[in-house]
Amino acid sequence: METITHLMEGFAVAGTPTNLAIAAIGAFLGTVIGLLPGLGPINGVAILLPIAYAMKLPPESALILLAAVYAGCEVGGRISAILINVPGDAGAVMTTMDGYPMARKGLAGPALSLSAFASFSGSMVAVVGIVLFAPLLAEWALAFGPAEYFALMVLALSCLGGLVGDSLVKAMVCVLLGLMLSTVGIDSNSGVYRYTFDLLHLADGIPFIVVVIGLFAVSELMLMLENAHSGAAPVSLSGRLMFNAQEFALAKWTMLRCSVTGFFVGVLPGAGASIASAMCYASERRMAGKDHCFGEGDPRGVAAPEAANNASAYGSLIPMLTLGVPGSGTTAVMIGALTLYNITPGPTLFQDQPVVVWGLIASLAIASVMLLAMNIPLIRVFVKFLAIPNWLLVPGVAAISLVGVYAVHGTTFDLILGTLLGGVGYLLRVMNFPMAPFILGFVLGDMMEQNLRRALSISNGELDILFSSPVSIGLWIGALAMLVGPRVAAALRSRHAGEPQPV
Amino acid sequence: MSERVFGVLLLLLSAAGLVIGWDLRAPVSYEPVGPRAFPLLVFVLIGACALALVFFRRGPTRWAPPAVLGRVGGLFVVVLLYALLFDKLGFIVSTTLMCLPLARLFGASWKQALGAGACMGVALFILFDRVLDVALPAGQWLKPILG
Repeated sequence: METITHLMEGFAVAGTPTNLAIAAIGAFLGTVIGLLPGLGPINGVAILLPIAYAMKLPPESALILLAAVYAGCEVGGRISAILINVPGDAGAVMTTMDGYPMARKGLAGPALSLSAFASFSGSMVAVVGIVLFAPLLAEWALAFGPAEYFALMVLALSCLGGLVGDSLVKAMVCVLLGLMLSTVGIDSNSGVYRYTFDLLHLADGIPFIVVVIGLFAVSELMLMLENAHSGAAPVSLSGRLMFNAQEFALAKWTMLRCSVTGFFVGVLPGAGASIASAMCYASERRMAGKDHCFGEGDPRGVAAPEAANNASAYGSLIPMLTLGVPGSGTTAVMIGALTLYNITPGPTLFQDQPVVVWGLIASLAIASVMLLAMNIPLIRVFVKFLAIPNWLLVPGVAAISLVGVYAVHGTTFDLILGTLLGGVGYLLRVMNFPMAPFILGFVLGDMMEQNLRRALSISNGELDILFSSPVSIGLWIGALAMLVGPRVAAALRSRHAGEPQPV
Repeated sequence: MSERVFGVLLLLLSAAGLVIGWDLRAPVSYEPVGPRAFPLLVFVLIGACALALVFFRRGPTRWAPPAVLGRVGGLFVVVLLYALLFDKLGFIVSTTLMCLPLARLFGASWKQALGAGACMGVALFILFDRVLDVALPAGQWLKPILG
């Protein structure tokens, strides 16, 4: 009952004309950012966060903007996947498999509208899931002490390390580099200057926005120059735009199944939209039996990844809202947004900031409806954005990114630091070092250190306290399993490589 | 090979971090864990990962061809110069100057690049500084004109 009251309050917050307008703008911009190959949700959120902050939006409006952009990106990624066979973001990789063949068959319109509807169903299932589970999880986590917290953050970081990228060592390096950058500045407990090299600008620590823009905007521009794809002409959007009853009937259970699966995969820290959509695509293909044309333009092959993709993107907000521990790069940036506004993320968020939390949840539902409304009739407008040439896009992104960094402190120092971090980010990304653990380490670094020190203060320096409660022991075991598990599974799989593999 | 070189660099970073971190001691301490424990732990782990990078053989890194790498380097230098000149020249002029080489790198003609630069400088300035209320540097020399 209480939940429903809160939800109504949330709709009251999200339903004010300003916040509705912000959600609509965010959903539109998000779709555009999502459909542009190269720019994905994390870049979009990273570029818009400093601007929202500089515009002095109140925290709930800023989060609504970021959430709408996030939702929009997940929807927008399918447009380029279907029309030019280039996924607009990581979650849309699987959408190319059947989306592009459908477009080649002259079914671009139905592919786009069916995938928009699948996205919508994924979003709605996930919003219901958030409303049902998030308050419960937050309540349970309220009993966490500093030792449990420290273990929880280790678990979150190892989830990402275990699941992202091609090697554990590389993910670990990135986590550690993020933690390293987070220690720069005055130590709040003792007042000691750490790694500031007598630079006044570093005394307060490295601003979060500088790291995010450097790693995700500047380095992205350098990669775009490297991967400049030869602007394949989009398949023209002719014929009917709406899917018909037959296509819907074929895909309806697929959508529902993938929405639910996607949501639960998204809740796990580290397992993001790309894992969810790949998993659902594979299982739907297997379930279809002989009677399918997956890979040649099966409507289910478009519906499955898109439903999973959106559901998991929303699901990944749960660990962020309830535990204060982001499960993905994008939610890590959103946690950073909370800290910019001096809001401490964690289980107390539901009690201390009900306006922010429930406003965000309600606005996700509103943004999803808006996205559905925009993406079917206005699809031709979005398709036009595919024609933006990189020579216009790249300088624009560079300028807007630096505006955001400059808006924080108004110093050239931050701009230069951000650019240098972008250079480092480029080198790391070329060597296949994943960036999400880096930003997660940076965001969690301060909280980890504080909780570790608090726990050890309680126990007067005895390390036992870290492993003293059943919850923390469970979390440590979970962390170990996430680090070792995927490797063991891979080793077992390669031993059975001789046997036929289910596809 | 690239990863080994990077591993060596990380090892140096970890050593430097440990040397600097060793002296981080609080003058007065009220708690069992001081300011240096966490950074030292992080740098020790960085060192361990660096050793793993140096000694385990991995797949080769696929660098872009030298010509492309040169252009990527060029882009980096342009953005760095943009960062340096951002508030000295003012947003409009520095953005126009940044756009020109960047647009050329991505295949625009001189005419397109110049047009894009000038339009973007002015349009973004009006959008952010005037409409969205995000203060941008007008540049020392433009101040008397804009008021």
